[in-house]
Amino acid sequence: MGCCTELYLCKLARQPFSIRKELFMGKIKKKFRYDNVGIFFVLPAFIYMLVFVGYPIIRNIILSFQDVGAGNLVRGAKNFVMFDNYVELMGDKVFTTSLFNTLRYTVLCLVFQFVIGFALALFFNRKFAFAKPIRGILLVPWMIPVTVTALMFKLLFATDIGVINFILRSLHLIGKNIEWLTTPGTAMFALICANVWIGIPFNMILISTGLTTIPKELYESSSIDGANKVQTFMKITLPLLKPTIESVLILGFIYTFKVYDLVYVMTSGGPVNSTHMLSTYSYKLSFEMFKYSKGSAVANVLLVILLIVGVFYIKATTDEEEA
Amino acid sequence: MDDEKRASGKKNIILCVASVLILCILLFPLYWAFITSLKTEQEIFQNPPTFYPHIVNSKSYAAQVETGDFNMFRSFGNSFLISIGATVIAVLLAVPASYGIAKYRFKGRKIMLLSFLVTQMLPVSVLLTPMFIMFKNLHVYNTWVAAVLADATIGIPFSILILKNYFASIPKDLEEAAYLDGCNRFTAFIRILIPIARPGVMVCAIFSFLYAWGDLAYGMTFILDQEKRPITAGIFNFMGQYGTKWSYLTAFAVVTIIPVALIFIFMQKYIVSGMTSGAVKG
Repeated sequence: MGCCTELYLCKLARQPFSIRKELFMGKIKKKFRYDNVGIFFVLPAFIYMLVFVGYPIIRNIILSFQDVGAGNLVRGAKNFVMFDNYVELMGDKVFTTSLFNTLRYTVLCLVFQFVIGFALALFFNRKFAFAKPIRGILLVPWMIPVTVTALMFKLLFATDIGVINFILRSLHLIGKNIEWLTTPGTAMFALICANVWIGIPFNMILISTGLTTIPKELYESSSIDGANKVQTFMKITLPLLKPTIESVLILGFIYTFKVYDLVYVMTSGGPVNSTHMLSTYSYKLSFEMFKYSKGSAVANVLLVILLIVGVFYIKATTDEEEA
Repeated sequence: MDDEKRASGKKNIILCVASVLILCILLFPLYWAFITSLKTEQEIFQNPPTFYPHIVNSKSYAAQVETGDFNMFRSFGNSFLISIGATVIAVLLAVPASYGIAKYRFKGRKIMLLSFLVTQMLPVSVLLTPMFIMFKNLHVYNTWVAAVLADATIGIPFSILILKNYFASIPKDLEEAAYLDGCNRFTAFIRILIPIARPGVMVCAIFSFLYAWGDLAYGMTFILDQEKRPITAGIFNFMGQYGTKWSYLTAFAVVTIIPVALIFIFMQKYIVSGMTSGAVKG
């Protein structure tokens, strides 16, 4: 490279000044070709993300191979312990519970919010006077800060004053109040309910948009061919919605799998660690027990799983982009 | 629109009634929180529960202003400051970046686009500790600046991915016409392209604001002093201290929802386009 530049400069020196200038400017212009200018528009944002996200990711990986506690977090020597933190996690029962919890929680949430969201999308796809305004209002749960949602569901599932216990009692389904949030199995159920409530609007609106892209002629011709509603749904709606369904499920997975606020506010991982997710356990290790390195290791496990799923998402979006 | 088959009279009414029923069921938690905030503590513990406040009690709101113990309006102000700050950073950086990505095919474009996509999927847990160290070293720990800097990282990638499509859909002729009229690339971008992409910029601003408004993890981790914390962290703190004071807690919740409700009422169309653009919530 250096040699080429030298050669170029020599050649340049032998030319009369006017030509020299032109050649030099040509070189500069080539460097600043139309397309390459674009990078200067992107760089500020890119550098910002590099500093505040890129660097922390690397730092977090390094942290997980060290032994960092409250004493040496900001200053002080940090010893490398290589895979010790990860090995330790393998034998950590709370970690395995969290991993299993996160998976179970994600799958159950996805199933319910997808089915309910799909049903609502189909319902509001019919033409009646209230269809559009009400579908619009139903988006509200998705916009509300998750902390508030957690608080509202804590109130609904409260033992003595909770309205859910009241309804179940009135229907004679239960004899005495259930302690939803302080019993291991039911606490998870309450969490799933709250998350499904947030997820329904998201699923509904994306599927609704997908439905509008299906050409009406297809439905007309299928009704002429004598197909019934179930057949039409199975043979036309579902196959044509496949790209929408894929992206809804992948996005839903990513969003649900990294759940943090909801669980942290509603149960904080309790009772007795039974509702810990990877994210809340990582937080607890780092900021309550000050085992920063172990917390980072848990976060990295979460990250790896998300990235694997993310590959599908990226593939889907970039295919679309290049097409 | 006219050729669409509308449900006829009776069917229309049945569907409308059904939709109102669905609405009532799904929004019940919100209603319940709201009426709880207006009840007296005594009425909250009444059995069977009352489905509307028999005695309307605004004390839970008033008490927050009067006593210094826990001032929710200050937390509200903190949240507002943090969210606006994060929104400004996100929009200022994302608008040019999305234009660059949409209109130019430079080297490294794909890598950059990919990295913005990936940052959208990151869990906060990965970033918390390293950011914590970083903010301590930058001496912004325990100030609202830390929360602003962190919250902007949610808004930026989301905004770029949305706005990129807006800029890409603007025909090249328009830009070239601007050049003929004496604009250079920069002035054309400012005077012609940004105004056309304005709805997209609105979507970005709204979502960046909502993400920052809803954030708990950053505000709670990077700000230590209660009086500097955002309202979400305030609620969480309050729950820990006065776990069963539901009238206060729900009043808190209602106040937190107010900006969200206002955005929803006045800017609903932007919300739908933001949600359907295929981005992950932060």
